[in-house]
Order: sequence, then structure tokens, then C-alpha cells
Amino acid sequence: MQTVKENPNAITKAVEILKAGGLVIFPTETVYGIGADATNPKAIEKLNKYKKRPLGKPYSIAVSNLKMAEEFVTLNQTAKNIYQKFLPGPVTVVSKGKNKVARGVESETGTLGVRIPDYKLVREIIDKLKKPITATSANASYQKRPYKISDVLDNISEKQKSLIDLIIDAGKLPHNEPSTVIDTTVDDPVILRQGEIKFKGKSQVLSKGEENTQSVAKELLQKYESYLGKRSLVFALEGKMGVGKTQFTKGLAKSLGIKEEIVSPTFNLVLEYGRLTHLDAWRLQAPNELETLGFLQMIENKNMVIAIEWADRVSQVIKRCREHAVVIWVKIEFGKGRNERLISWKTI
Amino acid sequence: MKILAIDTSCDETATAVTEGTKILSNIIWSQASLHANFGGVMPSLAQRMHRERINFVIRKALITSHQSLVTDIDAVAVTVGPGLAIALGVGIEKAKEIAKKYKKKIIPVNHVEAHLLSSFASPITNHQLPLTFPAFGLVVSGGNTQLIYIEKIGKYKVLAQTVDDALGEALDKGARLLGLGYPGGAILEKFAHSATSGQARYNLPIPLADDKIKNRFSYSGLKTAMYRLIEKEKPLTKEKICNLAASFQDVAFNHIINVLKYQIETNPYPLVPSALLLGGGVANNNLLRSKLRKLLKPYGITLHVPYSKKLCGDNAAMIGVSAYLKTQRGNLMNTDQIDRSPNLKI
Repeated sequence: MQTVKENPNAITKAVEILKAGGLVIFPTETVYGIGADATNPKAIEKLNKYKKRPLGKPYSIAVSNLKMAEEFVTLNQTAKNIYQKFLPGPVTVVSKGKNKVARGVESETGTLGVRIPDYKLVREIIDKLKKPITATSANASYQKRPYKISDVLDNISEKQKSLIDLIIDAGKLPHNEPSTVIDTTVDDPVILRQGEIKFKGKSQVLSKGEENTQSVAKELLQKYESYLGKRSLVFALEGKMGVGKTQFTKGLAKSLGIKEEIVSPTFNLVLEYGRLTHLDAWRLQAPNELETLGFLQMIENKNMVIAIEWADRVSQVIKRCREHAVVIWVKIEFGKGRNERLISWKTI
Repeated sequence: MKILAIDTSCDETATAVTEGTKILSNIIWSQASLHANFGGVMPSLAQRMHRERINFVIRKALITSHQSLVTDIDAVAVTVGPGLAIALGVGIEKAKEIAKKYKKKIIPVNHVEAHLLSSFASPITNHQLPLTFPAFGLVVSGGNTQLIYIEKIGKYKVLAQTVDDALGEALDKGARLLGLGYPGGAILEKFAHSATSGQARYNLPIPLADDKIKNRFSYSGLKTAMYRLIEKEKPLTKEKICNLAASFQDVAFNHIINVLKYQIETNPYPLVPSALLLGGGVANNNLLRSKLRKLLKPYGITLHVPYSKKLCGDNAAMIGVSAYLKTQRGNLMNTDQIDRSPNLKI
């Protein structure tokens, strides 16, 4: 282990060590990080030993610019937006990885967190190395955030110390919060567009406000209520954020005589109210996660009414349930007037 | 009394060991691993299944606290609700298994009550929170937004709660509308911080401003107003994003402040609370804290917040502390009767 002060020689030294698969502790605008060549399996193995991480836990990588980021991840519009406006800076952007880093760097689902440190020395090291380095904090898992070198060294074993090849000491760093991680894969149009529902010969009404939206729900429920007992009813709700999907479900609940307050299931994923089950696919990453939530068991109960918000994200799975359930696809769109909504529906 | 606590109510797999109100260890999977120490990120449901990681985090909590399950732990506390049924089930099953194998008592805990009481948690032994009841409690997280009147520990009345989105969820969605990915609450705060103060702030309507009796929260209207405002302001520059983030956050919190102010002034109870306990992930937000302090000061009400940020988001240390406070009241349940309760109310 060698300690150097922050100077041009440190850059050359760090690049040499990283090329040889070594570990380098370096300052960033947030905390001290520990870097390994993210494309070198041996280096990552060494880093795993140092961090004492459970298997299968990914690392973020640091790159020097957007162009380099695009070699390793696919940037969608949301991601590009954030890169352009907020990087370099203390933000880690998670995107779909291109599988060009060593095993264990990308997550099990193939996503990869990338950041461009707002710290010139680090970007220069990466530029000279021409490869991304891991951007994980220099402490071992569960230890305190390292703002100075002693924060790292005082909390690790001799064995861990022996794994560090170089420390670039920039003294005490200002107490900035760690970088914020933001996942942009949620917006991935690839996921969103799968199995889009085509609306031909649809029925449509204009709602003039929340109560109106609720009554449309009531009427639709009454229209299909006769199926209950023979088949369950699934209301697949599609529409932008704030358009009134929860309002629609409130209408269903009122119609079913449910007294409890119907709230957004975004966080809990599933909320149950007697004969009504309220689901939300917004946070689901893959359509089959709907099955993990027990959707197929839910629809087997022929007396159940099921409302699914963000149904367009899980349309394949919903389509598959047509044998057991009557599926009413409901699309809500913003209208011209402030409170107006266009509501269309069809059974699929 | 040493307690091993488990919380698997939604996304996080969390375990802790507590002794009284003191925290001996507090392990949260998402912090322990994924992008370690760089903040949280949305886990996939596959990961959310908790099963594969629960043994690991239990072991970690015990090792970190230097306790042995066989000899040192007196009881196992576990979250029974509210939360996602399949997730809750994993923690409860494991707690029962441990309780049976090592002949320990098991204490069921309400997740919202634990957030409510998380200010009692302490890094030192025998710490007494300087507080006399009654008190107000405010739980603001991704899944809950509740203003509660605490007559004493164990006796609660909900004064106001959300009729649609939770506050944390609304902040996440506001960030999402600005094209900032998910989860957005933390990043929204970050960008709001760099907004130009005073000028270029946008006008967004404070939710339910016309309510005469202010006993509910709502964020659906604000979300829609934000959507329309963003459509109008497009294309968005960095400056606009920061100002929009600041305006959205400001209005979202002012709504909480308005309802709380109304509830303080119309308090029908004989005793006036002298404290407010803040809990839940959004309790980490500095703007919310300062707005609350400013409101509460003239009424002589003290704001109590959890001593560390880790105690605000979902964690198991608060479950252990809440379980301990529960045993102080003496109501323990038979292990056989403990079951998941996804819709549990406080």
C-alpha cells in the first residue's frame, strides 16, 4: 500500500495500478471512493474481497463523459436528460447495461449505475485509463462514510489494508451527501410498448371532473356486473400520471359498497378491500412480476373485482387471464378543459 | 430486554437488535448492498421476495450487535402490517421459526406505529425522550401519510390521512413528471435546493385549500396541476427543473402544514400536546423539518425527529424499539395467533 498526495504524478501512478488490476482509493466530490478497472474480472474479484460484499451485489461505475457512458449502457430519453443537465455531479444514473463490464458489476437484472464525478482528478484518471472504474465508497460494507483516509483505515482489517494498492490523499473532504441514485429503466419504452392495446371501435365518454370519473366507473361496473359469480372482473386502467386512475377505482369501490378510503397502491403494490383488489404496476420492472403478486390466484375467485393501475405495463399477463376473467380495458386521457378527461373502454 | 427485530413490510429486508430503546445494530439490505452507501434504488419484485436474503441480514444484525440468538436475545419482534402480504409473510414465518427453535417470545408490531415512535430510538443506554403525552405524531413515507393524536403509547386517534397518494409517493411522482427517474423524492430535494430563490417560482395550488374541516390529505390534484404546468413550460432547462422541483415540494409541504395548523387550533382534547413526533422516509427532508419547526414554535410544541436518517426510512430498529415499548404496556400475544395483516390500522 502506497499513499500519495493529490498531484499529476498521482494520476500516472493510479493509471498504472488500475491497468495492472489493482485497487486505488481516491477522493470525489462526495466521499472517498475505491476504484478498480470495471472491465477486469480479476480486479473486481479483488474489490469484492476488500468490500466483503455478499455475492450478486452490483457496483456503480464512474466514467469521464457521456460518450464513454454510452459504450457501457443504453441511455433512454430520461437518462439523456439527466446526463445533460446534471452531470458531472453527485448523481448515479441507472440504465440498461450493455454487458461490457466484468461479471458482478451489473445487477442481476442487467442494469448498471453510472456516474460522472465532479472531480477533475478522477476524470483524468479515467481518461488516461480509457476504461471506467468502480465508483463505490472506500469503506467496507456497513462502515461509516469515509470523508478522510483515517475513516477508511481505522475501520478495516490488516487483511483488507493489504488489498489496497494506492491511496490518493486529498485530506479532509467537505461533508457532502453520497450521490443520489436514480433509476431510469422504469421509463424504458421497450417495456412500456410491449403489447400495446389498440382501440378500434371503442366506446368513449367525456368526464368533467373527479365525481364524473367515479360515476363512469360505477356505470361500467353495473354494465358488466352480471358476469360476477361466473367470472371475475378485471379493470385494466391505462393513462398518464394524475389522470384519475385511483379516482376511477374509488368509483368501483363505492359501487361495491366499500366504505374504506381507496388510496393509491403505488407503494404497497396490492391493497385489498373485501371484494375489490387494487393493484399498481407502476413500480413493477417486468410484466411477470404481476404473477408473483398472486394475480392469477386473484382472478380465480369469480366474485372478485380487480383494478390494475398502469395496466399497459403488464398487458401480456393481463391478456393471458381472459379465460378466467372479463377484462375491461379502460383508457383515461386528459381533455381540453382543466378537469376534463376522455374515458374509453373495451373488453379484450 | 434484547430484541431481534425483523421488518419485511415492502421493499426492504431489514433486521436489527435493540436493547430497550438503544439500537445495537440496524441492517437494511438495500443499503447494505446495492450501490452501497450511494443511496437507495428501486429493487425488482424478484429481489423484493426477501426470502433469499433474510438469513443473511439476521446473521448480520446479530454479528454487528455482538449478540447470540441462543443466549442473549430475549424476544423476536416482527412487523405484521400494514404492507404487502407476500412480503410480510416472509418476515413472520422466519420470526416464528426462530421463536420456536430457540424458545423465544414473539412480539407483533404495527409498521406505522413503529414509524410513529421511531424518535424514541437512541444510540445510548437508558435514554429518556424528554416528552410528556399527549403528543401529535406525523408519519410521512412512501406508503403512509397520517397525522395522529397520541394520548399515550398504544392509544391513538388518526386526525388526518391521505385519500389518494402518500406524501413520499407524491414527491417521487413529481420528480418523475420532471423526467428525473425513480425514486425521486431525494433528488427532488436536491434540485429544489439549487432553485433560484424568490423569483421564477411557479404557482401550484395548495391541495384542499377550501376544506373547512381539514382532516385529510390529497395529492392527486397537485400531481395533475404539475403535469399541466410542465407541459406548458416545456422545453425544460436545468433552471426550470430546479424551480419546478422547489415549487412542487413547497406546495406539497404547505398542505401538511395547513392541516396540522388547523388540527392544533381546533384540538378538541382536554390536554394540549406539547410535542410532535415525526417519522417516515420524508422526515429526512430538511425543508419539511424547518417548516414544521416554524409552525410549531409559537404553540410551544417541540419537534422530535429520529436521531439518524436511517431510522426514517423503513428499518427494523424502530420495530425493536416499538416492541420494547409495547412490552412495557404488557400486552404480548400468543405466538399461534400472529399472522400477517396487510391492511392493519393504527
